[in-house]
Amino acid sequence: MYKRAFLFNGIGSKPEKLLVKFPPALMEKYEYYLDQAFTRLELNKDLERNRAYDGRVAEWVISLICDRVVFEHYIDQGIIPDIGAGYSSGIVSISSCFGSVSHEFAHDIIMMNRSTMKSLERDNMKLDMGIIIGMNYQDARDFLAEKFSEDEIIVGSGNSAFHVMISGSAEAVESALGYALEAGALKAFSFGTGVAYHHPVMKAYTTEYDAFCASTKYKDPDYPMISGFDSRLIETGEEVMRENIMNCYTPIRWDLALKELEKMGVTEFFDVSANGAVKKFSRVNKSKCKIYTLEEL
Amino acid sequence: MREITDQIKQEITDMIFDYYAEECEVERDEITMDTNPQEDLGSDSLMFVELIEMTAEKYDLDIKLQSIGKYMLKSPMDTMSDVVDMFCKIYQYGNDIVNQ
Repeated sequence: MYKRAFLFNGIGSKPEKLLVKFPPALMEKYEYYLDQAFTRLELNKDLERNRAYDGRVAEWVISLICDRVVFEHYIDQGIIPDIGAGYSSGIVSISSCFGSVSHEFAHDIIMMNRSTMKSLERDNMKLDMGIIIGMNYQDARDFLAEKFSEDEIIVGSGNSAFHVMISGSAEAVESALGYALEAGALKAFSFGTGVAYHHPVMKAYTTEYDAFCASTKYKDPDYPMISGFDSRLIETGEEVMRENIMNCYTPIRWDLALKELEKMGVTEFFDVSANGAVKKFSRVNKSKCKIYTLEEL
Repeated sequence: MREITDQIKQEITDMIFDYYAEECEVERDEITMDTNPQEDLGSDSLMFVELIEMTAEKYDLDIKLQSIGKYMLKSPMDTMSDVVDMFCKIYQYGNDIVNQ
């Protein structure tokens, strides 16, 4: 029943890295959507000329626009998904590409991150996130539990057998990255973004974001999705809305979501990110499945 | 410890050079033993993980990434020569590479 899954990435890739693989036809489409979105949102395409926080969310909106261009390209090529999954803000992206909300509403959700960042600044919260390469979810969880409380830091996302994201207080993240390297991580680095997405501490700072996510009626998605949080099957607009509301403060198990897709019969995974980022940190059973990227197609 | 022959060493070297040439989109003959994979080729740690996975699959090795990470604390991968040397040690010693 399910053979082909589309995978949507979260934020994090710089625009210059996203755009480098776009052929001219896709670039033209991207420029068109970018003009439309940035004019409506009053963002400057010269990202450095945007006001505080606007530059950052502008990058994230670019990421969504790239996803849309790649998604539409796949559809135009006759590559139609049976199901999909969104990693972190990829949930916002998949919500619009799969038709639950308009692309404009998805961009507005991303813009609401400004309110979250302002709330954190107001309360002088020093938060951060980091990536550990070379550890799986359980290894990272065990080593964090030895040294920190869950209020300080958690595994914000188990991505694959070698890739986890940690999230919490900036001090704990910095210490944990050092410990991870001592414990044999191949690489460990922080984002330095001042936020701790996918840590429960964020719930107190996302009330406006959450309220905005709940401010419209979501249509049932054109294709079902798998939750990146608990691998549930999502088939209704209400469920898509719930995923968006809980997104900022709920830990992700991307590794388990992909396993669930495999169990459901998916063998063809399509990375909807412009730069093949999802394929890099995700793993599927290579003897039965393959992750395709834009570049390969 | 597993014996390593000159033939296996050459096979490992070819695999590594071919991999970086393809992933980093450079000509194979532009890569030398003195090339720095990060600075000269723009490789990253995720490429490195994939290379480890390929090697483990090719030679049927059960290797923990953390063993390699601990080894790299002592012996950084600054040149292709370091990378080839480390993969030969992975072939020979498996997880015991950390004690080499």
